[in-house]
Amino acid sequence: MDQLLQALVNGLLLGGFYGVMVLGFSVIWGVMGVINLAHGEFVMIGAYFAWVLNRSLGIDPFLSLIVIMPVMFFVGWLLQRVLINRIVERPHLIALLVTFGLSIALANLFKLFFTADPRTVPVSYNGSFELAGLTFPIVKTIVFGLSLVVMLALHIFLQYTRLGKSIRAAAQNKEAARIVGVEVGRVYAITFGICIALTAAAGAMVSTTIPVFPFMGPPFTLKAFTITALGGLGRIPGALLGGIILGVVETLVAIMVPGVGTNLGIATSFVLLVVILIVRPQGLLKGLRPMEVT
Amino acid sequence: MRTRRLETIFSSRNTFIGWIILLILLALYPQVTELSGIRLLQLTQIFIFITLASNWNLIGGMTGYVDFGHAVFFGVGAFVMGILVTQVQNYIVFAPGLSFWQALPIAGLAAMLFALLIGLPTLRLKGPYFSIAMLGTFVAMREIVRVLKDFTGGGRGLDLPPVLNRERDYYFMLVWMGLVLIAIWWIHRSEFGQSLMAIREDEVGAEMRGINTTKHKIIAFMLAAFSTGIIGGFWAFQNTYIDPDVVFIEQRTVEMVMASMLGGLGTVWGPPLGALILYVLQDVVWSRVPEGHLVVLGVLLIIIVLFVPEGILGTFKNPSSTSLGRLLRGYREEQPRPETVATE
Amino acid sequence: MKRVFKFLPFVLVLMFLLAACAVPAPAPAAPAGGEEAAAPAEGAPAEEMPAKVIRIGAAVSDTGKYAREGGDTRHGYLLWLDWVNEEYGGIKVGDERYKVELIMYDDEGDPDTTAKLVEKLITEDKVDFLLGPYSSGLTKSASAIAEKYDMIMVEGNGASESLFERGFKNLFGVLTPAGNYTQSALEAVSKQGAKSVVIAYEDTAFPTSVAEGAQRWAQEYGMEILAVETYPKDVADVSSIMTKFKDLNPDVFVGGGHFNDALLFVRAAKELDFSPKAMIITVGPSNPKFVQEVGADANYIIGPTQWEASMSYEDPYFGTAKDYYDRYLAKWGEPPTYQAAESTATALVLQLAIEQAGSLETAAVREALKNMDITTFYGPIKFDETGKNVGKPMGSIQIQDGEIVVVAPESAAVADLIYPMPPWSER
Repeated sequence: MDQLLQALVNGLLLGGFYGVMVLGFSVIWGVMGVINLAHGEFVMIGAYFAWVLNRSLGIDPFLSLIVIMPVMFFVGWLLQRVLINRIVERPHLIALLVTFGLSIALANLFKLFFTADPRTVPVSYNGSFELAGLTFPIVKTIVFGLSLVVMLALHIFLQYTRLGKSIRAAAQNKEAARIVGVEVGRVYAITFGICIALTAAAGAMVSTTIPVFPFMGPPFTLKAFTITALGGLGRIPGALLGGIILGVVETLVAIMVPGVGTNLGIATSFVLLVVILIVRPQGLLKGLRPMEVT
Repeated sequence: MRTRRLETIFSSRNTFIGWIILLILLALYPQVTELSGIRLLQLTQIFIFITLASNWNLIGGMTGYVDFGHAVFFGVGAFVMGILVTQVQNYIVFAPGLSFWQALPIAGLAAMLFALLIGLPTLRLKGPYFSIAMLGTFVAMREIVRVLKDFTGGGRGLDLPPVLNRERDYYFMLVWMGLVLIAIWWIHRSEFGQSLMAIREDEVGAEMRGINTTKHKIIAFMLAAFSTGIIGGFWAFQNTYIDPDVVFIEQRTVEMVMASMLGGLGTVWGPPLGALILYVLQDVVWSRVPEGHLVVLGVLLIIIVLFVPEGILGTFKNPSSTSLGRLLRGYREEQPRPETVATE
Repeated sequence: MKRVFKFLPFVLVLMFLLAACAVPAPAPAAPAGGEEAAAPAEGAPAEEMPAKVIRIGAAVSDTGKYAREGGDTRHGYLLWLDWVNEEYGGIKVGDERYKVELIMYDDEGDPDTTAKLVEKLITEDKVDFLLGPYSSGLTKSASAIAEKYDMIMVEGNGASESLFERGFKNLFGVLTPAGNYTQSALEAVSKQGAKSVVIAYEDTAFPTSVAEGAQRWAQEYGMEILAVETYPKDVADVSSIMTKFKDLNPDVFVGGGHFNDALLFVRAAKELDFSPKAMIITVGPSNPKFVQEVGADANYIIGPTQWEASMSYEDPYFGTAKDYYDRYLAKWGEPPTYQAAESTATALVLQLAIEQAGSLETAAVREALKNMDITTFYGPIKFDETGKNVGKPMGSIQIQDGEIVVVAPESAAVADLIYPMPPWSER
């Protein structure tokens, strides 16, 4: 029983991270209709960013978010202007292939610069504390807390600011938004920038719990897809819920099944993805726009 | 004017005859001159590459369902082959392991059956969702094969009997490539192929014209899977060992997509041409850009998709003839890109 | 604008053609002596070279997933090449001296490319002998081809036992096979009183062999195996495994597969406050980068090693293990990993077998290899009938105060094993 509760805790903490990791993917898809297969690579870039800052300047990975997010916002903004603009509102296939190419190029580019050696970002406070008989890893708890903060901030931004409202307007009806004076191109660039910044931030945070290497990205992309399918497009509460469901399912399977549990846990998320797509293609929750699956 | 002449040269019929002549020449090649093992092996690898690209093209190009996990059928074929050859005797008393020729068709059929099971639900999904579902299937299968230790040897994999015969491999792949290319040429001209392409252009419209789209899609998917499964089984034998990490690799799918895109999606001769060019590139050029060649591959994919979506053959021909590019091009003309709206 | 697009493919095709023509040889890769080392063999002037040459071939990763380990392997081979041609004066066959020409290609870590290159080495470059590639998987591909052409292949980087279970008569591996990786470490902890073991391993060929061996040895030393868990390659979270293990409260944890996993296990153990009395991690701890990445948490971790410079082996060719270390450091500017040392030993073993046989005939060299019973700077070499090296025990290291020190077997140990390791809460 204790083990089960501990697994729930592990899963919950993992799920919080999944929630913030998936935001960028989900919002880009929801607002711009682009399925970004290079999503995991931006997680990887964020993680390397944190590693470089930590290794060369000794900056704490959580503190380095202050540097990483603005820089990555600019990178995202630039990328949208140069490349993504060409594939917005064109058939999904084009976006898939282009971002697929981008993902291969980015992962291997980073391998050229950083080699394939796995890196870690050490923090001095990586121990654990006990609460109600359960073990809480300190770093993962911080990641979880920060994830909630980030999600809340984005939620407030989208709901209550002028820019946030125009982003939602562009997502719901591009033409109408244009008519009422929303500069859709600018909104897209800003959205993409924000999403890349968020994704990189998730990467920087996760660098404290897993090794960083150039090919860490693709599993994140696939998980992002599963979570988005669970939680609906571009919806923040949905992302959190989907993330937690996936995290808990993964850890529970891993704990319950002896021997091969961890393997099965990983397979589960992909099986879950295929099952959701087939059984309830519109997603479990209503998103910014329907998924248009069949 | 020049384009038109090229178009006649590359017309389906002329190319078909050209390919037949080429196939016959290739069949005679080892007989006329003594070929060293390396030449035979290189040509065999090219044949594999061409056939895989053509298989993918059947579902990805002609039907328009871009399969990001097609290598899963390669893996299923390889593992069924491995299990039949090395494991069967452990489970069925008195049954010796099957020979290469006995196991090969079963490997293909198994991949085909798997395609039926996975295709029935996933082919109902719209394009991009199908792509992702297949990618998920691919990754899930890799883990599932790992978990089924008793049959597949888990992560350690299976050792097949190490009997290599380069000449047998050469002729087998030559024949198989020939069969696949002729089949695809035939499908392209047949009513069945026309229906596939109708599905690609406008699935709802095709349905309304009375085409049983589900049936057509499934059949195309199963045919492609069958051929890929055969090659998977063949490869398992040729490589003498298999494990989940050498048969379920993303790069195999990437190469199929690349070759088809480069040569011309949905054309008959485009994917073989693309495969040939890619192989030569890999062999000659990329080994000289050692570390960076996957970066080049990724960038090349972006460039092809953005600027030459019809591929080489598709661009030779009338852009509005066959390729998926028409769909893309149509989009480009009808809808102004958002950036122009924003900046003007 | 559209016109431009139309011409693009033509330009592309033209580019391909140009590229294809510009490169004269259809060779898959330049005969990569890698750095400067191919030069003495190939470009040496005729007068100082004896006319007789032995051609040795190898396909070793320079790029791809094994780029780093493959690089060490190449360095190891090249160090031997330099030594045998420049200092030793060529391989002695009967009364004659043969210079060595080493042809190396880059297999990119891909089995198809490996097959192609080995086939090329044999049928086109007409090499006399083969050295092994890096990794068990690629060695499997390569050795099947060597067997087909009845070509001797000595390898030092494929540890999986299944390599030697295929009945090949031409494959010889100088390294200690994977099943024995944890033997000396388990022996050492059992002597200290360890009674129970948990095992976690990555579900790929090499770690599986290691883990199966660990189970065998644990039973041999009278330890109880409480649980065995697997996880997939490139796993991102092992906390579930560690949660399970924590409840079992074992004396010894055995785990690992790749460098990543080693990092993950140390972290997860600390995060979940899982403190067994000993942690044996199969890949990682013997690599100096491990301490660099993990820092103080790496202390007390035990790991197997094929070879360390502090070991007491020596031979009349490269001297002691320390001499080899110095020579390697001087040539390549970095300390040798055990992958480099075993590669040099691989080539040395082939050389000694040729000299013993006094001929280049496959059958004679095979006999010499079968009867070989020597000690090199890398350790004792004695092949069993399948071609495995059964002479060499596996060493074990422990990280003590950030230093990698050999703690087992006793004959090679330079420090005492610290057991039990202090719990995380008391560090």
